[in-house]
Amino acid sequence: MSGEMVSVIQSLITTALRMSIPVILASLAGVFSARAGIVAMGLEGMMLSGSFAAAYVTWLTGNPYLGILGGIIADVAMSMLHGVLVIKFRLDQVIGGIGLNLFATGLTTVFLQIVWGNRGKSEMLNTIGHIQIPVLGKISPLLLLAFIAVFSAAYVLYKTVFGLHLRMVGENPTAAKTLGIYVNRVRFQSLIIVGVLSGLAGAYLSIDHLNMFVRDMVAGRGFIALSIDILGRYTPAGILAGSLFFGIVDALQLVIQSDKIPGQLLQMLPYLVTLLAVVLAVKDVRPPASMGKIIDERE
Amino acid sequence: MKGGSCKPSGGMCRKRAWKMPLCGPVFAQLGDGAPSFHRNGWQEGTNKYDSIVGNDKIGEVNLKVEVVRLKNITKQYPGVLALNHADLEIRSGEIHALLGENGAGKTTLMKVLYGMTVPDEGEIYISQKLVRFSSPIEAIAAGIGMVHQHFMQADMLTVLENVIAGAEPSVRGKINYGQARKNVQEMIDQFAFDIQLDSKIEDLSVGERQRVEILKVLYRGGTILIFDEPTAVLTPLETEAFFAVLRKFKEQGKSIVIITHKLQEVMAIADRITVMRDGAVTGHCQPKDVSINDLAAMMVKREIKVNQHMRGTNVSEDVYFEVKNLSLTAAGKTILDHINLKIHKGEILGIAGVEGNGQTELIRCLTGLQKPEEMELLVDGEAVTGTASDFISKGIGHVPEDRLGTAVVESESVSTNLMLGYHFKDWFRRGRWMDYKKAESFGNDCIKKYSIKAPSAKTTIAEMSGGNQQKVVIARVFSENPKVVICAQPTRGVDIGSIEYIHQRMREFVGTEYAMLLISADLEEVKAMSDRIAVIYKGKIVAEGPTDEFDDTQLGLYMTGAKKGADI
Repeated sequence: MSGEMVSVIQSLITTALRMSIPVILASLAGVFSARAGIVAMGLEGMMLSGSFAAAYVTWLTGNPYLGILGGIIADVAMSMLHGVLVIKFRLDQVIGGIGLNLFATGLTTVFLQIVWGNRGKSEMLNTIGHIQIPVLGKISPLLLLAFIAVFSAAYVLYKTVFGLHLRMVGENPTAAKTLGIYVNRVRFQSLIIVGVLSGLAGAYLSIDHLNMFVRDMVAGRGFIALSIDILGRYTPAGILAGSLFFGIVDALQLVIQSDKIPGQLLQMLPYLVTLLAVVLAVKDVRPPASMGKIIDERE
Repeated sequence: MKGGSCKPSGGMCRKRAWKMPLCGPVFAQLGDGAPSFHRNGWQEGTNKYDSIVGNDKIGEVNLKVEVVRLKNITKQYPGVLALNHADLEIRSGEIHALLGENGAGKTTLMKVLYGMTVPDEGEIYISQKLVRFSSPIEAIAAGIGMVHQHFMQADMLTVLENVIAGAEPSVRGKINYGQARKNVQEMIDQFAFDIQLDSKIEDLSVGERQRVEILKVLYRGGTILIFDEPTAVLTPLETEAFFAVLRKFKEQGKSIVIITHKLQEVMAIADRITVMRDGAVTGHCQPKDVSINDLAAMMVKREIKVNQHMRGTNVSEDVYFEVKNLSLTAAGKTILDHINLKIHKGEILGIAGVEGNGQTELIRCLTGLQKPEEMELLVDGEAVTGTASDFISKGIGHVPEDRLGTAVVESESVSTNLMLGYHFKDWFRRGRWMDYKKAESFGNDCIKKYSIKAPSAKTTIAEMSGGNQQKVVIARVFSENPKVVICAQPTRGVDIGSIEYIHQRMREFVGTEYAMLLISADLEEVKAMSDRIAVIYKGKIVAEGPTDEFDDTQLGLYMTGAKKGADI
């Protein structure tokens, strides 16, 4: 094998990993949302607001780590807003999610104008340092964090009291209630995790991936995360595999880059492949039974 | 991220959990008759169903002491007196059967004991101490466990997870699965339940799921176990196994209450029986002192006659509607078993039976909503097949059992609701288009003709009372002169005045020309309206004959499967 080939494969892998970071984090957020019985339709908007908040705080302070924290805080707030709407006021979850997406798009565009004086993108931002590891070379610490998040999520879901309560709530809230589990409290706690994870995913995009905030920079990754949740059957291990798969196709698309194929078609590839994978590879995925249902606490 | 968000410490979390405000589902009953005000209390009984307090056999292993006493429990729901000064005493080491028809108040009484329903009046004593439960959590803490008719389980979780959820052994938020497995496995071994801890609930049979539910109760330290219709979904073999478990509980001194309407089971398993009817306790007895017939009489007899008997004056010899060999299975279970029915011109055939014995499916099959494995349907000698729409156009009218669910669209007007299912008919159209003017004048005609209380045909169904809604349904079906009407629960949730009116219209409609199949959970209605009665039990017609040749006791026996008979 020629040296050139090796370097192509190596760059393919590093790119794949890089592209999968936001998707891993976002689909993990989707898992916690679904397990709480809430459709994560607003992931896209939450990522976008996380992205913007991270960029803004970084620009203000010059410190990208504070920026990440800002993204997380913004998204926890968004997640809580969604929670109040769909849990407390029993708003239809899909409508709530779509509302969240529109809200985020509008809000970030307005603030982009206010802060940086244009509607397209922010100034270049400070970025977080990458770490050198063998074989792969320099990688983002957020990649490590994403992997740690997947394993922690599996631990929380399957080994802790909270995890069992959460899974019970997602499957049968009425049963959970008769067992003395505070259904709504568990759901809100889970939504905090959703906010943290989607905030990280959003912050990665603006601070690490592009080093600036660009309007609509999430580019459908929130919805891709939803598909990956289905593909991964709402389990941390499953979504890790699904996200890496998406990352590989996305990287291929970047590596292939050819004059003969229009760029737009290539850019479509990861989305198309994910869609096909969801349609073809998945037969009997059963989402948490209470997902999308409005739970009436008074009952 | 808040530190405690994903690791609430086990102990603390549980402690708080017990205080969780929990309101049971609003439990409403639609009465099938006026409440009875007759009552035999513990002291008042004068017949052989008297209480046997303080009459324990000498030499019994367990000294039977009172563990629960419900005194004077009354619960009034809007329009229905669900519980009427009901008394009940449960002792340790006994199996107590709470017997009664649907709507007799058995489940409500037990929900009161389980803290899901707060009574208007009355007292609860647990081991002689007055208690007041406002939620099941408090009842569970007092050692009461209830196995609901519909299991409270998460299908995708494992047996172990379902059993321990909400009461996990844990250290700082981490579940001690080793300990949990050991505890639950011990219980499984003790009762020789053949259940794997790691099976998913969805892979279990109904019998196994019930055992999981029992484990849940035991795991929480239940000593007073309530089972709501426990054998309704079990096969005979599973039922035997279940009874064996109940006997084991009894040996351990636990108290068991089974809510049931199956007389044979009661005789087989119960130590003592409390019979309820119309929210009141009508008798206490022991199986050895009574016969199945006595129990049926206590259970079925009614004191207030609201239903005037109406018989067809001129039932012809011609079979007008015939069902042959109707069979239906679902999920491997036989729902309808070779049903054959014949209805003559001018005749009403009533289907009597305890709810859930296949009536709903029978209705669905006969109206084309569900396709059975096997069925031949003849209306006036002509075979009927196809979709629900074909059934309608072949002359089968349908008064659905679930009024708001299937019969009407609440948010639409009277005139629109009067068209549903018949909207394609010429008289609602002008050429290719709907003619809402015609529909409206038709609506106004119906309002007059069927004395529907509505200001105009534009009134929406939601604004009307149950009785008037039902009249709209009746008007819709009868106006089209179907040859046969499948009439299900025609007066459920309807006021007494409308009941009388609807009954008259039903008779009038059938007259000498048409036929009707009446399916009702209200036995009195079936008896009042039908020329002949067919009794359905477990999807099978177990008895059939002229109404006036059945007496209540017999009907009760057939309906509960205690007696299987040939044609009368």
